[in-house]
Amino acid sequence: MKVIIIGAGEVGFHLAERLSEENQDVVVIESDPDRAEETSDQLDVMTIVGNGASLPVLERAGVRGANILMAVTSKDEVNLIACLAGARMGVGYTIARVSNPEYHASGSVLSQDVLGIDLMINPARESAWETFHLLTSPAATDVASFANGRLQLLGLMVKEGAPLTGKTLAQLDQELEGMHYLLTAILRDQETIIPTGATRIEAGDQVYLLSLTTEAHLIPPLAGYEEYRLRRVMIAGGSPEGAYLAEILAQYHIEATIIERDRKRCVELAEALPKALVLNGDATDLELLELEGVAGMDGYLAATSSDDTNMLSSLIAKQAGAKKVVSLINELDYLPLAPKVGIDAAVSPRISAVNAILRYVHRGRVTSVATLKGIGAETIQFTVTKDSQVAGQALRDLALPKGSLIGSIIRGDDLMIPRGDSVIRPGDDVIVFALPDAISEIERAFE
Amino acid sequence: MSLRHVANVVGLLLVFVAVAMAVAGLVSWFYSDGVTGAFFLSALITLVVGLAAYGLTTVSHDITVREGYAIVTFAWTAMGLFGALPFLLSGTADSVAGAIFESISGFTTTGATIFTDVEALPEGILFWRALSHWLGGMGIIVLVIAVLPFLGVGGMQLFKAEVPGPTPERLRPRMTQTAKLLWLVYVGLTGAQVVLYMAGGMSAFNAVTHAFATLATGGFSTMNDSLAGFDSAYIQYVTILFMYFAGVNFTLHFYAFSGKPTFWRDTEWRFYSALILAAAVMLAATNLTTGAYAGVAGGIERAVRDGLFQAVAITTTTGFVSADFQVWHPFAQVILFVLLFTGGMAGSTGGGVKIMRVLLLIKATAIQLKKHLHPRAILLARVGSRVVKEDVLANIVGFVILYVLLVLAGALVMGFLGMDLLTALGASIATVGNIGPGLGNVGPTDNYGWMSGSALTVLSFLMIVGRLEIYTVLLLFHPGTWKARRSFK
Repeated sequence: MKVIIIGAGEVGFHLAERLSEENQDVVVIESDPDRAEETSDQLDVMTIVGNGASLPVLERAGVRGANILMAVTSKDEVNLIACLAGARMGVGYTIARVSNPEYHASGSVLSQDVLGIDLMINPARESAWETFHLLTSPAATDVASFANGRLQLLGLMVKEGAPLTGKTLAQLDQELEGMHYLLTAILRDQETIIPTGATRIEAGDQVYLLSLTTEAHLIPPLAGYEEYRLRRVMIAGGSPEGAYLAEILAQYHIEATIIERDRKRCVELAEALPKALVLNGDATDLELLELEGVAGMDGYLAATSSDDTNMLSSLIAKQAGAKKVVSLINELDYLPLAPKVGIDAAVSPRISAVNAILRYVHRGRVTSVATLKGIGAETIQFTVTKDSQVAGQALRDLALPKGSLIGSIIRGDDLMIPRGDSVIRPGDDVIVFALPDAISEIERAFE
Repeated sequence: MSLRHVANVVGLLLVFVAVAMAVAGLVSWFYSDGVTGAFFLSALITLVVGLAAYGLTTVSHDITVREGYAIVTFAWTAMGLFGALPFLLSGTADSVAGAIFESISGFTTTGATIFTDVEALPEGILFWRALSHWLGGMGIIVLVIAVLPFLGVGGMQLFKAEVPGPTPERLRPRMTQTAKLLWLVYVGLTGAQVVLYMAGGMSAFNAVTHAFATLATGGFSTMNDSLAGFDSAYIQYVTILFMYFAGVNFTLHFYAFSGKPTFWRDTEWRFYSALILAAAVMLAATNLTTGAYAGVAGGIERAVRDGLFQAVAITTTTGFVSADFQVWHPFAQVILFVLLFTGGMAGSTGGGVKIMRVLLLIKATAIQLKKHLHPRAILLARVGSRVVKEDVLANIVGFVILYVLLVLAGALVMGFLGMDLLTALGASIATVGNIGPGLGNVGPTDNYGWMSGSALTVLSFLMIVGRLEIYTVLLLFHPGTWKARRSFK
């Protein structure tokens, strides 16, 4: 598969990195020569220096034979023009990174059916959704949903003395008879393990569990966490990410309080978000946070435009008693720091955008992909066709590559957590967990 | 501020008033009621004065904001004064103050009368009273804007100053077109009511006069007992329906007429309808439980109808009467007292504070309460999905305070002139709110004929101030309005 990526910023770079690891042919177009050189030094991709919205540059990148064009510069208009050009020159799928919500709105002249842009990704909105998932599953550091939200994957740290601690998977199968779940991956000492029946869970393990969404609330107690419902959320910072989160919370009838320093922005927010309480103040003003009841908050998102302020604000909120604290972090180098200093989870708008795009890229054979932070494993959903190698075979007879695991089979309305004798049939949707090295081989097996 | 400019436009408006008088004269001639000469003489005087004012002044520039306010105030005063001529010349009114009161009560759609025996009045006079309602209801200036486009940009100033409610909406890009559409809806609704009345067996004369008085939310009737004089449930229900319509923002009517009804999405409309419904239910329930309708044939239906009628008549500030509510249980009277303040929707022909202002006042109060809980919160008042700006909100709070002060000041003067508390308060509220019947000695079965000339003059002033929504008139008493603006040409 040939992919053209326009813009080698954080989003473009990470897309290129992940796609080249999956053995795809990647061409990156970048206008800044230094950045372009840096990219070609670090990644196994071809780079072209130039403006991605210009036809000659696109021609040079081989746009006519490309399957996918991803325009992910920080400028909406450049991305849109590049996609329009790409679509006209026969690219199969075009994806644009677009931040201005007016371009997304239904009825926009740029809508898919009119101009043929297949996907518009808004990093702020994607990260707001990710934050929402994290807040609704407080113990989880990772959350992803599959099969139209009927399956949920939770990643959480197993506590000392939790029901899971010290048990093998085979033991758990007996104890948790009747519950629909699957332990898909364990991260232990920076190493990802795709577990077997004999694998024993230890305290401190980061486990990734797949379960029915209706039973997802039973998972955190297994790892030693309390079960609870999200009722009140405080958002420090009226950035687009914060505003989108407030909008999502309003849909689910969850109370939202937004704190923003700029008075004019406050008025804008209050106009756009009738259900949220908008406060004019500083995200690190402890007195204000306490006055507005930060101690009683189920969730807290630090969403100012400054990483430093976000980290500080998160720590203050955590100290003051907010239950689940999420910080928005733009600088990717800071991401690993967040859990170390006591912030429950960190969300990067750019990584959210990368995930959203990758989820789409695998469409056709794949309907949903989540990239698990921290571990390299991906979660991929395939639709099995008659011609697939795996069709009609029992799981134990499949020669699945090492570092991969079938997590679930969806047949019509039935969801199955599979066993060795389960048979895959054409028409099934199958969710697979795989380490990056195994992805290409898996894709071939399901083609 | 150019007084010549003001005189010019006011003169033009008087020409319209003269034409209206001539129309009433034709009605008088048709019924041979003996006062035809008085009408044509009044029309002639008004025409001469109007033409003189218009012809002897020249207009050099567009109307300024201050001139707009002055024009509207002086126009309404002039209309009231000249409109009194038919009452005086026909000999039906025995005092100048009384004739002016009756005329202003007509144009401001108040419906308070000095006549004890209305049924004895000549047809021409009855028609003139109804016609003055009808012209004043939608606003005579709006009519002039609709007919004469030359007022140009300044027309918006006049329009704003005359149309009730916080912010008039434009239906069309051009002022003239908007004014035309509003009048079209007004005429359409009036026609519909006349047809429904006549289908119920009313005479053409009564149908037209009552339709005029209903759509303008006026309240002048041709019967001494107002609508109680028609012993027909059908006619009273038709009246209830059209009083209700008259209290609705005419913009909403326009959208309904053009096939895109948007009533239920309008917050103010929902509040207006809910208020009337709640009041009607409480009135009917009170009257039924206190046994006020015991022994009356069809007692339950009558109690419900009378409750609904009074609730609509008072809320819309029409002031028609179907029952003497002064003999009702005190609770029912207090309900009606509260309704005396609310008024119709913004952009309707109703008077009073206006539902929109009441709604926003409640929201502003709620915001202040919430502000105590969250001192740093940015809280906005919304009507539907629209955000109301803070200065508009402050303006409305100011208006309501001014309104209440004006009512109290009016009551103070009435008290000084020797009226009892209830009558003084009732007369003041009923005239400022352009309602008509008040409380005490100006209640639903009484009239204003017994008052002294000075009381009638003060109340006449209150009616104009109330009709023009206070600010327009009071600005003329502000010294700043009269100071010359320096120009740096």
